[in-house]
Amino acid sequence: MSEKRKAVRTYHRNLAIVLGILLLIFVCIPLFVKSPYVLNIFVLVFYMSTLSMAWNLLGGMTGQNSLGHAAYMGLGAYASCLLITKAGINPWFSAILGMVIVGLVAGIIFYPCFILRGPYFTLVSIAFGEALRQFIINSAFFGRASGVGLPFGRDSWLNFRFGSKIPYYYVGLAMLLLVYLLMKKIERSKMGYALRTIREDEDAAAAIGINPTRYKIMAVVVSAMVAALVGFFYASYIRYIDPELMVLAKSTESVLPAVVGGAAYVEGPLVGGLIMIPLSEFLRAKYSSILPGINMLMYAVVLLIVIRFRPTGILGWYMHSKLKTFVDTKILRKPPIEVLEEVELAKMSGKE
Amino acid sequence: MSTFLQACVNGLLMGGFYSLMGMGQNVIFGVMKIVNFCHGEMLMVGMYLTYFLCTTFGLDPYLCVPLVAIIMFFLGAVIQHTLITPSLGTKSFTNLLFLTVGLGLLLSNGALVLFGSEYRTIPTSYSQVYINLGPVTLALPRLISFGVLIVVSIALFAFLKYSTIGKQIRAVSQNPVGAEVVGINTKRIYILTYGLGTALAGIAGALLTGFYTIFPTAGASFGFRALIVVVVGGLGSIPGAFFAGIFLGLLETMVALFISPSYSDLIVFVTFIVILVVRQLIIIRRK
Repeated sequence: MSEKRKAVRTYHRNLAIVLGILLLIFVCIPLFVKSPYVLNIFVLVFYMSTLSMAWNLLGGMTGQNSLGHAAYMGLGAYASCLLITKAGINPWFSAILGMVIVGLVAGIIFYPCFILRGPYFTLVSIAFGEALRQFIINSAFFGRASGVGLPFGRDSWLNFRFGSKIPYYYVGLAMLLLVYLLMKKIERSKMGYALRTIREDEDAAAAIGINPTRYKIMAVVVSAMVAALVGFFYASYIRYIDPELMVLAKSTESVLPAVVGGAAYVEGPLVGGLIMIPLSEFLRAKYSSILPGINMLMYAVVLLIVIRFRPTGILGWYMHSKLKTFVDTKILRKPPIEVLEEVELAKMSGKE
Repeated sequence: MSTFLQACVNGLLMGGFYSLMGMGQNVIFGVMKIVNFCHGEMLMVGMYLTYFLCTTFGLDPYLCVPLVAIIMFFLGAVIQHTLITPSLGTKSFTNLLFLTVGLGLLLSNGALVLFGSEYRTIPTSYSQVYINLGPVTLALPRLISFGVLIVVSIALFAFLKYSTIGKQIRAVSQNPVGAEVVGINTKRIYILTYGLGTALAGIAGALLTGFYTIFPTAGASFGFRALIVVVVGGLGSIPGAFFAGIFLGLLETMVALFISPSYSDLIVFVTFIVILVVRQLIIIRRK
């Protein structure tokens, strides 16, 4: 037993070292890379991947394919911007308030909509996003189609306002990590199991005592709140927002990293985002003057190829590839799954 | 009064296009139970096809309609055979959804890369001819388009109702397993259905070119309205789709007339959400 325990401990230690090195690399990048262009791409990767993770909670884990996440993000951006400019509230506090507002709006609006299943839910999420955008375009309070700008000024942490990209890089990275940990926590909690049961079969879930509506509302509220946080980050970073932020194309863009990376995994949006967004930005910077739309064309082609030949995404492919076996046995020294379970069980019974 | 009548007629003409788009979507949705999110982009492809047939061969836009329909049918059949049928087997709704979303992205951005974002029109000798019918003025291209629309709708209805292939399509949409048992080749029906759906979108696109500008995202608003038509008109019902499309067109123009043109989209989307929820509530009640 002690040998097995030791093997498990080594595995956990190796895993922590590998993840630590990865994290260290990301923390150190701004120390060596000074180009604002490259840093901008990283910031983009961070907030788009976070948005994609928010979608993944609802789409990948619960099976409710929303196409309205740009609307939550936009609403969060508007809420925090208006709280800052009109009510003079501190940005950090207004971010929290914005998240609460968006969570409430999403919960209230989607409460009656959760009787809709499958494609009907997707349709209602599109209609909701478009309706919200049209409402903002027609509302003087929201600044109509011309949008809202945030004040410029001296660098300050209190006002979350910087001339350089480096602070945004770190805040973005922190946001990504926090949301990732939250999603991981949800995935392993009772809620995560309930959501995946609902994804597989809603009627069966109801039959074994899971309240589908309650869990779906929880998922949509958390997802919308994370999207609102991304909206706040986006607004503070770009310092200007307009209703174009909420178009359907942006919602689609927020889903692509998750589907390409692997929607069934919490890490899917991260992998997809890290691969797809730099590629897309590179194409946009290099060719957009002669061939506009080439970056989205590439996105579409990759998406179609992934869905056609690797339906579980890049991570799904990795999970069954020889590469994973190599990484597991040679680098991480992962013990067989039975050993892992045995030690886990022994630990749990020891605790009791 | 005359503005009201004029708005009614305009709504009716626009509604005809929503109907035609909705019918194509309805056939696809009914048979395969997938939402075709690139339906609007198919309309855009139909518009560009008409444009190039007109400019290179000097054809009249309305003569292009059958040609466009045939080309679009084969395009749809190829897409169905190479992309959608293999993915239908995986039973993953997310993948099927993003397959059509990805196709839409591919088509609209492909058009952007190939043709640029400029607006194009097809000039014809009769594009500026107007007909006075009492208090109402009508552009001739709109009237011709509407006439062709009605003919295509009736032909589609008759095709699905009386022809053998139409009966097979309806059989597959009601029960795919049962259809397979009685000897219908469902894969073939899927290909025919998707081809038919895209051909209808292409026809709508070709008919639109007479009085509408051509640009890479021209189809987006039509695509979503087609979905509204399917939901409101009822699955598998061609007359339902026809009337739902007309209703939608009238609703838009009435809102624009009585409230404000800028609110017409907002009202359309809110109405759609309400109809969806109420419809589902009625279904639950019936159970």
